[in-house]
Amino acid sequence: MRNKSIHSIDADNLLRQVNKPARYLGTEWNAIHKDWEDNPARMAFIYPDLYEIGMSHLGLAILYGAVNETPGMLMERAFAPGPDLEALLRGKGWPLFSLESRRPLAAFDVLGFTLQYEMSYTTILNILALAGIPLLAEERGPQYPLVIGGGPGVANPEPVAPFFDAFLLGDGEEALPELLALVGELKKEGTIGDRRQVLRAIAGRHGFYVPALYQVTYHSDGTVAAVEPRQEGVPERVVKRVLPDLDAAYFPTRPIVPFLEVIHDRIMLEVMRGCTHGCRFCQAGAIYRPVRERDLEVLLRQAAELVRHTGHEEISLTSLSTADYSRVEELARRLAVAYAGQGVSISLPSLRVDAFSVRLAEAVQRVRKSTLTFAPEAGTQRLRDVINKGVSEDDIMTAAGEAFQAGWQAIKLYFMLGLPTEGEEDLLGIAALARRILEQGRRLAPGKKPTVTVSVSSFVPKPWTAFQWEPQDRVEVIRDKQRLLRSHLKGPGLRFSWHEAEVSFIEAVLARGDRRLGPAIMAAWRQGARLEGWSEHFRYDYWAAAFRETGLDPAFYANRERAEDEVFPWDHLDFGVSKTFLQAERRRARDGQVTADCRSGRCSGCGVCPGLGVEPVLKRQEA
Amino acid sequence: MRLRIKYTKTGPAAYLGHLEMLRLWQRAIRRAGLPLMMSHGFNPHPQLAFGPALAVGIVSQGEYLDMDLATALAPDEVKQRLQAELPAGLELLLVAAISDQAPALTAVIDTAAYRVSWLQPLDAATLQPKADALLARPVIEVSRAGKAGVRVKDIRPGLWRITVNADASLELLLECSSRGAVRPEEVLDAMGLDAPRSITRTGLFIRRGDALLAPEDYQDSPGQV
Repeated sequence: MRNKSIHSIDADNLLRQVNKPARYLGTEWNAIHKDWEDNPARMAFIYPDLYEIGMSHLGLAILYGAVNETPGMLMERAFAPGPDLEALLRGKGWPLFSLESRRPLAAFDVLGFTLQYEMSYTTILNILALAGIPLLAEERGPQYPLVIGGGPGVANPEPVAPFFDAFLLGDGEEALPELLALVGELKKEGTIGDRRQVLRAIAGRHGFYVPALYQVTYHSDGTVAAVEPRQEGVPERVVKRVLPDLDAAYFPTRPIVPFLEVIHDRIMLEVMRGCTHGCRFCQAGAIYRPVRERDLEVLLRQAAELVRHTGHEEISLTSLSTADYSRVEELARRLAVAYAGQGVSISLPSLRVDAFSVRLAEAVQRVRKSTLTFAPEAGTQRLRDVINKGVSEDDIMTAAGEAFQAGWQAIKLYFMLGLPTEGEEDLLGIAALARRILEQGRRLAPGKKPTVTVSVSSFVPKPWTAFQWEPQDRVEVIRDKQRLLRSHLKGPGLRFSWHEAEVSFIEAVLARGDRRLGPAIMAAWRQGARLEGWSEHFRYDYWAAAFRETGLDPAFYANRERAEDEVFPWDHLDFGVSKTFLQAERRRARDGQVTADCRSGRCSGCGVCPGLGVEPVLKRQEA
Repeated sequence: MRLRIKYTKTGPAAYLGHLEMLRLWQRAIRRAGLPLMMSHGFNPHPQLAFGPALAVGIVSQGEYLDMDLATALAPDEVKQRLQAELPAGLELLLVAAISDQAPALTAVIDTAAYRVSWLQPLDAATLQPKADALLARPVIEVSRAGKAGVRVKDIRPGLWRITVNADASLELLLECSSRGAVRPEEVLDAMGLDAPRSITRTGLFIRRGDALLAPEDYQDSPGQV
């Protein structure tokens, strides 16, 4: 019964009753339906959020292609069902199913969740429950799929460790097909039924972390004493996987073209991986090191294939900071020229705060988008130096000025509130900066009505950053700061938006949490928590009850300053960045000293290149 | 050149809404390398014109789409190239060159035929009296929820024919024009039928007296008839 697909009549019955049935069809262009019997290693990739979010994820497109283009294995997709489908499934007692073959998730050998943000953790549990799979790894017998996780959340997967059999650290293009090949072999040998042996085999593979094989001990004050392998042969530290050369790496040129309008409904051309800026709050900038650019000619070839195979009307040059790509102007210009005739436009998802980026956006975007967004992150030069943002007031004013002159009338500015050392003058600096930009806009675009939107998130200290020791402001303090900012951002042309402080608080608890949080996540889910990335679904009550029930103090995780030498729950994982480097960066932050971008040629000594045996790959124009 | 396309919308494709179809066709046309005309102006949009709207979840055996190409291509070649780029459930039945002056599909199509099949057995003998009773009513008021709230509409003038087949399936012939459209669900509700069913649009037509003309055969402006 477990291998049977949900009968098509039944699926029709469901599809007829749900909102946006196009989420669940599985017949989008380029969707791959591999033969079940011919491909014994079977995995479902699960994005723990709605289809529109999940289908915007480049990682899914890459891994879906990489696995499905390998003989002997297949990958299908699943997403969190909308609340209406969830209610129907629960009412009928039907399990959650994959999109391609509409099989229950329990029929797969491997279920792979991507951990993109902390607020998806309760949705992971909800999906496992809807699939009829025990939530705790230790309660899953060999008849159940292996549940694995990847993505940025594995920078510290400890809070969800009890639910997972294994995590993959780093790039998955090669590692995931390797894992499925291993699963295929173990099935053939007949050893797949011995879950302990399977986990031992996985733990020996580069990049794979099997949490059950590690023992965590704690000091009496609640901090971690040690995380150690329980057995011989299990590595003391799990080192992340890195593809040294993206030109040689697999890249999908036939990604699925969704029917539904998804968040990023366009071609995602990944120009590079990693970022060299070294902003001290940024986890992505740390865990995706070193920077690896793709060759211009390779990108042009991939773009041509992507346009031909998808028919998309837009190519987005994606990366953590696309304006940094060594030959970005040439790439953007050549793509714009090549595809203008086919009605295909070029876009840049993230703009650096400088005039170069604005001119680049102006050059490639034929249709002026309504809003241009920059992220100065902090309101004063002092604080921008603390976070190593490397952006001056001049850069900001010039970039905004260029934007107004080029015809943009709305500027959006992202800031972070609650950064280490932040004081009232830094907050007032945000308001002052917004006003100066607005005044400039009025001067440069007379007769128009420019607007400046200030969007403020709350700082969440993250593992693998210089600020991993820092406390997060308490919820009341964040609210006070939001109120202060709001009172200074009133008036025509100014807009203010902010993040819910309690969401940031839960993020902070989970980001640097340990394994003891597993029961709290489970309790929050039992209370009803799910799809918590959506403000209409987030309820702090669920979490308050969960912490009460499990006797955990969330402030211990979110609001406590860590001792310099504290052992962290993720210290047995190795993303290449050394703790000594991060400690030094923290001191430099306190002193307001900036650290150079490693693209400049001055090595900051983060430890990634010698530690992982790699180096930055920059594709500069040959002389 | 203008091409008139007739296609099915079955299986999974029946669940695609209008905006999804618009995106899908544009992308399929780009993949097929067909030179779709774009409108001139500040915000160019593709020169694609669909026939009357079809509710999500209803299967159709014959939908229509007019498409303007910037350069002339043989309709057969277009059919072949486009079919290769269409997802499951969309099958091209016909691609024909029509006059650039041909009136828009929505301006001429005024009739839709539907077949209603039941997902559980129903007795045909009980259906005929219900159909007769409905057709005997001078006014059939239904309420429709719209943006401006619920409004009441008389669907009797647009209810043209109900045929009960021996297997209890129904054939409905309903108005489907720019002046208004009767929905098959409204007719079934008015007949007091709420059994699980599947509804198929079996055709779109231009009604001339008792005759039903197919849109592919009818390209003249109304004045010429």
